[in-house]
Amino acid sequence: MGFFLRKNGRKRPAVSGRGQLRRTVSILIVCALSVLLSSAAGSTQEHETHHHTHHSMQLDTAGMVMNENADQLPRGCPRLSGEHEITVRAGKEFARPGTMFAYDRSEWRFEPCTKLAVTLINTDSVRHQWMLHGLPRYIYPQGMFTLEVAGKGQRTSTFILPPGDKTYLVHCDVPQHMEKGMKAQLKAGAGDGDLPSIPGVTGPRLRDPYALAWNGWTHGVGVLFGIVGALFVGRRLRLFL
Amino acid sequence: MRLRGLLFFFFFSGLVLGAPFLVPRAWLPRPIQDLVYQYIGEESYQKPPPSREISPVSVEPFCLDRHADWRKPQTIEGVAIEASPVCDPDNPAEIAAFVKGTNNIALHTLMETRLTPNTVVKENDRDGDGDPDEIHIRLEVVELNGHSPDDPAPFPAYAIAPGVQPGLWVFAPKSSGMATENFESEWAHPTLRAPSPTIRVEQGDTLRVTLENTHYLPHTIHFHGVDHPYIDATGEGNDGVPIASEMPISPGESRTYEMTPRQTGTMFYHCHVQPHVHILMGLQGMFVIEDNRPNNWLQTLNIGAGRVRSVSAAVRASYDREFDLHYQDIDPALNNIIQTAGDPRLIAEATNRRYDITDQDPDYFLLNGRSFPYTTRESLIVVAPDERVKLRVLNGGAEGISLHTHGHKVRITHYDGVEHNPAAQITRDVVWISPAQRVDLLLNTTDDGLHNYGPGVWLLHDHKEKAITTDGINPGGNISAIVYQDYLDTSGRPKTQGMDWAPFFTKEYYQKKLPIWAGLEDFGLLGEASARSLPLSYALMLGIGIGLLIGAAFALRRRGARYR
Repeated sequence: MGFFLRKNGRKRPAVSGRGQLRRTVSILIVCALSVLLSSAAGSTQEHETHHHTHHSMQLDTAGMVMNENADQLPRGCPRLSGEHEITVRAGKEFARPGTMFAYDRSEWRFEPCTKLAVTLINTDSVRHQWMLHGLPRYIYPQGMFTLEVAGKGQRTSTFILPPGDKTYLVHCDVPQHMEKGMKAQLKAGAGDGDLPSIPGVTGPRLRDPYALAWNGWTHGVGVLFGIVGALFVGRRLRLFL
Repeated sequence: MRLRGLLFFFFFSGLVLGAPFLVPRAWLPRPIQDLVYQYIGEESYQKPPPSREISPVSVEPFCLDRHADWRKPQTIEGVAIEASPVCDPDNPAEIAAFVKGTNNIALHTLMETRLTPNTVVKENDRDGDGDPDEIHIRLEVVELNGHSPDDPAPFPAYAIAPGVQPGLWVFAPKSSGMATENFESEWAHPTLRAPSPTIRVEQGDTLRVTLENTHYLPHTIHFHGVDHPYIDATGEGNDGVPIASEMPISPGESRTYEMTPRQTGTMFYHCHVQPHVHILMGLQGMFVIEDNRPNNWLQTLNIGAGRVRSVSAAVRASYDREFDLHYQDIDPALNNIIQTAGDPRLIAEATNRRYDITDQDPDYFLLNGRSFPYTTRESLIVVAPDERVKLRVLNGGAEGISLHTHGHKVRITHYDGVEHNPAAQITRDVVWISPAQRVDLLLNTTDDGLHNYGPGVWLLHDHKEKAITTDGINPGGNISAIVYQDYLDTSGRPKTQGMDWAPFFTKEYYQKKLPIWAGLEDFGLLGEASARSLPLSYALMLGIGIGLLIGAAFALRRRGARYR
């Protein structure tokens, strides 16, 4: 997982945003089942079996936090490898041309088993989220950690990364916000590759239909190599010496 | 010499090709007879090709019965919610939240929805009549079936009919969390849908509507027909018209509109930025102002329009049921542009400058955001005999509609929210509704041969024939039905006794891959004719002919060389 050959388009990228989610769902379900069978923790079982609702959620007029976890050490983490705080700004002002919304950073790197306090500062007057996917579901129902700020303002919450090198998708799930640029990746350890269409990092799978602009240089190079090619072929066919 | 060769060639090939015509017919083998007499007019019997075998396709069930408990009459947060016996009724917790206000209900009720505590804020009973008079609604702009840079499937997914997913923009109540049903799903959460919700307030209420523009293009709201000041108390534009009253609301920004409507009626709200595009993209909804009555708690938003399950005091006094019917038409040449690119500049260029609405040609016709058969999961007009039913109808499409009620004649009581002179009100079975127009209809289910001809499953549809199709495939479009309760099963399915509906619940039917009469037991006489197999003799003679031509051409070349 992780590499992709964007240039020649022969191979579809192994990792994508939502595509990755769908593919990993079955794996996650298997993991969740094994956890259910082996675990005696009643409350987590309840989270797993009630599919739709009852995440740990704090909801108010200013926003929402889902699946905050400052205490429970994920299985396989002998101890916390560190504690860090990050501040993420989200809004239109960070977007590049061709997009409309963005975070002020496209990538973060932390050691697995890091305890991370995330502060999301929303600079727009609409909702934005910092939603991270792919976490173990026995701690984080639906595998997600979500910070949502309902308008201008900020909110802080904490979660703990599980063990293992992995690249996590971070995005805003307000319709079209990820598609229009509010997408990033968080690499635990070395990560396991890059996700597609991370602003400033990777390109999209489906390229936009921009018009192609020719200028003096591209015209010049085209004409020059056209002449070279014609001379070469002409000589081979003995049209002239 | 060259001429002689040419003549020789024509003579020889003519002899071969013409031989079958020169000898008696009976001398020829049967396939050659078939072939020859096909061209000289006297045709022998040829067996027509059989009907094509239809490979099995997957059929969706009529109803998934995901929320059967939502159909029952129930009381949540003290709000009495009427039964809605259709397959997919609205979420009762959401209805309760809209009636009481999202600020006035318990958190556990709110958690049964995706709403936020300030989606619909209700407070301040100014006239002391037992209901709140200051309402604040927060709306967002949501794109359905949009573009993803990484996946060709439209996202978040919203189907108007099996496999039909045009791009749409809608106003949606401010929500929280994911846009999809759950994290494994690509389907939009049920609150995010077409049409934009019906807004319902009481006459004299002070309504504030905050548009939080979550979309990537500028938008506004214009309150069409609703009593509202042109500018608000602070001098800000309040009419939503960028070329007259105010600047458009940019992506990521918000604006609050304020009004205290003095008149009642069925009205309209829509975006007024590039309105010829944005209205038809789906940024339109019904707006109802109800009579001011004591203790009159209204269902401020009706998601996806349709049955009003908590009706106003005035409507309850005169009617047994109330329905909001929102009609739309869609030209995918416009709506699907948003699925072709990610860059907002490319989408703006293609929708505003490349698409030419003077060439508009709608393919899809919606009632309450769906086309048949999905209309019948949500938008059946379920009635009982001897009832008075209020239908509020909005035509949000680009074309007029000729609304026809089978089995009933309806009375037009209001045009554009204004009551028609009671003495002059007319009763008819085709109601013409212009674009942007609203009519209020009284559907009387008394079996008297005029208002109703008895119970049944009576279709309700636009009689403009293309509107009963989905891209030309019938049954589709805005077909729904007036269904008497006895004709409805427990899953909300009409007890019809005509054709099997199974083909209509397949993608293939609307992709034009299934014969229309596939479901009929007809001895195979009405299937799809398969291609006629090519006779061997035909291939044989064609081969000989071509071979002769090539051979003759070579012979001529050599001959020419010899004599030169």
